[in-house]
Amino acid sequence: MTPEMPTEDSAPRGDGALSRRDLLLRTAAGGAGLAAAPLLGTTPAFARASGGAAADAGKLVVGAFTDGAITVWKKIIPLFKQQTGISIQLLTEPYDSWFAKAFQDGQSKAGQFDIYIMDDPWVPQYAAAGILEDLGQHGIVGDAGFAKPFLELGYWPPRSGPRIKGFESKKPALVALPTIGDLQTMTYRNDVYKTAPKTWHELVTVGEAAMKAGTIQDAIVFRGVKGNPIVTSWYPIFLSYGGKFFDNNWKVTFNSAQGKAAAEFFVGKLKSLAPKGVAEYDSDQEGAAILGGKAGAIIQYTGNAIKSDDPKLSKEVGKLDFAVVPKQAKAIAQIGIFIHGVSTSAPNKDNAITFMKWFATDKAQTALASFGDVPVRIKPLKNPALIKKHRLLPTVLAQINAGAEARPRTPDWGAVESILGTELNKALVAGKGGGDALDRAATQATAYLKRQGYYS
Amino acid sequence: MAAQRTARARLQGAGFDRFLPYLLLAPAVLLVLAVVVYPLVYGVQTSTKFYRFGTAISDVGFAQYRQAWNDPLFRGALWTTLKFVTAAVAIETTLGLGLALLCVRELPFIRTLRMVLIVPMVITPVVVGIVFRLIYASDVGLFTSLSGLVGGGSIGILDNERGAFWGLVFLDVWEWTPLIFLILLAGLQSLPQEPFEAARVDGAGTWRTFVDHTLPMLTPVLVVAIVLRSIDAFTTFDQVYVLTHGGPGTATQLISIYGYDTFFRFQQYGYAAAMLLMVALIVLACAFLGIRLIRRQAATA
Repeated sequence: MTPEMPTEDSAPRGDGALSRRDLLLRTAAGGAGLAAAPLLGTTPAFARASGGAAADAGKLVVGAFTDGAITVWKKIIPLFKQQTGISIQLLTEPYDSWFAKAFQDGQSKAGQFDIYIMDDPWVPQYAAAGILEDLGQHGIVGDAGFAKPFLELGYWPPRSGPRIKGFESKKPALVALPTIGDLQTMTYRNDVYKTAPKTWHELVTVGEAAMKAGTIQDAIVFRGVKGNPIVTSWYPIFLSYGGKFFDNNWKVTFNSAQGKAAAEFFVGKLKSLAPKGVAEYDSDQEGAAILGGKAGAIIQYTGNAIKSDDPKLSKEVGKLDFAVVPKQAKAIAQIGIFIHGVSTSAPNKDNAITFMKWFATDKAQTALASFGDVPVRIKPLKNPALIKKHRLLPTVLAQINAGAEARPRTPDWGAVESILGTELNKALVAGKGGGDALDRAATQATAYLKRQGYYS
Repeated sequence: MAAQRTARARLQGAGFDRFLPYLLLAPAVLLVLAVVVYPLVYGVQTSTKFYRFGTAISDVGFAQYRQAWNDPLFRGALWTTLKFVTAAVAIETTLGLGLALLCVRELPFIRTLRMVLIVPMVITPVVVGIVFRLIYASDVGLFTSLSGLVGGGSIGILDNERGAFWGLVFLDVWEWTPLIFLILLAGLQSLPQEPFEAARVDGAGTWRTFVDHTLPMLTPVLVVAIVLRSIDAFTTFDQVYVLTHGGPGTATQLISIYGYDTFFRFQQYGYAAAMLLMVALIVLACAFLGIRLIRRQAATA
């Protein structure tokens, strides 16, 4: 028994407006559902979920970080209220402060939030600290309908790959479910690149020629700011060159020959084809460069890519196409999904679980995609009607199939990323020394991980 | 009435008068214990524990203080902070003093000028950071736009280490010179006029009067302004967080940014507490030195 959801053809009207016919039908369905609930032996929460225009059934407090994708995600709130009677209060904060606030809330058991919407690398930190509910205990399973690389990020400890000390023999538990599918893909100018550049070499060669011809100001744009931004931009190059961050014993391996080649290419050749001040570029500046017509190509997350066809946001409508990231040894992008888990101190835990079940369905994901976000389940990703409206979806699926990797599954990734991002940024400013930067970062990261007990 | 008098006499006899001052002081003492002493003690306690996944898992004594002292990033951040405080406060003091000397005179529009000068100080630091990020941006920033008008290319302030550091200093100078200006203006207005009149009668020039009278008499106020501003500059966070987040590289990584990342992002609570307590000791030492300077000045005046 699943809640009634709109299909792509019956997506809700703006502001949750209902026709009189809809209202009558849903009221009747709601009444019938309520009457039948005791006979069917359903739980009260599920009974609420089964009717339309349900009566007030309490609330649910969801916290998230401010992001364009969350602005779109908000549109499902009236739909959930309509079908379950549960109101969602969404509280948003800037990325960094939300990370700290949610963690403090969970750890101090303040109970200010029921559901945390997180960035996927937060899951190891939150789960290791024991502040996320084991969803399996509430009957929630990670079914095969989810895109597997997305779903895997909800398990702690991870079901594959190395595990950190103290969690080696623990049984993986599902502690979070993917919220919005997000990963890097390439956006390129179709008047500069006649076909999508398949390799980094092609991207550089054609882009350089276009720069010389004056067709384009910069062949590529990326994030150069220290820390997470620069590592995010370097990530697909590093993975495509065949680099690995750690071995199975958490020994740092990112300063391998492949890693160094990727770093030298990034801080040298790629910088020379990027805007002059790229070392201070963050997501807002790189996004503006591609949408403003200054750059020929970008590897970016979907939040900015979906603006390509919006004449209010893009100067290059019709000139921007999508493709999987260029290849070296492989063509691998970074996954960075929104993922949500229930706080162990949630005051409205039943409602939170109801939401998790509701949101994990193909129908809810279809509704989400119809509003503009990228779904996390395969069926909506392949839905022809949705693809017609949302032309990025096939590229997202193609990138998942070509290769997409999440960041290493350790609570200490943030610290390692900060070290790596600082050293890479120094090399980018200098325009050389990518390999040396990786060596320095590896020394610091090893010392840090040793202090955290990784190698004892 | 007689009974009350007897009771009071008995209390006085029992030493009530002796305890009364302590009783009256008790609320203030309790308040200080709660809001100053307890957090400090808790901070010291935290600094002696090793945290993993947000939970204290072992006592490590003062090992994290040693670790901090040997941490090149901590020492680098401390050095950057010292450079930043020295440069910013020196420039602010010079400019603040100049402006105060200008505004202490009764000139046309001087009241309006005084009001305009303090505007930067009342703007939220985060907003100041955002505004300067837009000014410095190499793609759409003010300098790049001006350069574009004369056919120049983009000008990057934040894309190189020296530019970012001095860009941050300039931001701080813009925002906090008004504070020094206000303190010094108040100091100048409170100076006695007789020495200046005597100097004028004796034919002393402006520079001589400034060196022999204004500066010596203003020194205690000047020291207060410098100490206050230095302590404040030592804890600068918001503007750097928004403007550069410590970059490029570690060029603007002040101790506050490194402490924040260590505590909130990497959840190394004990280590962050140890680092920040060390910084607090340094700031306290600076403040102590400043106060001693003021007292010495007062004694010799």
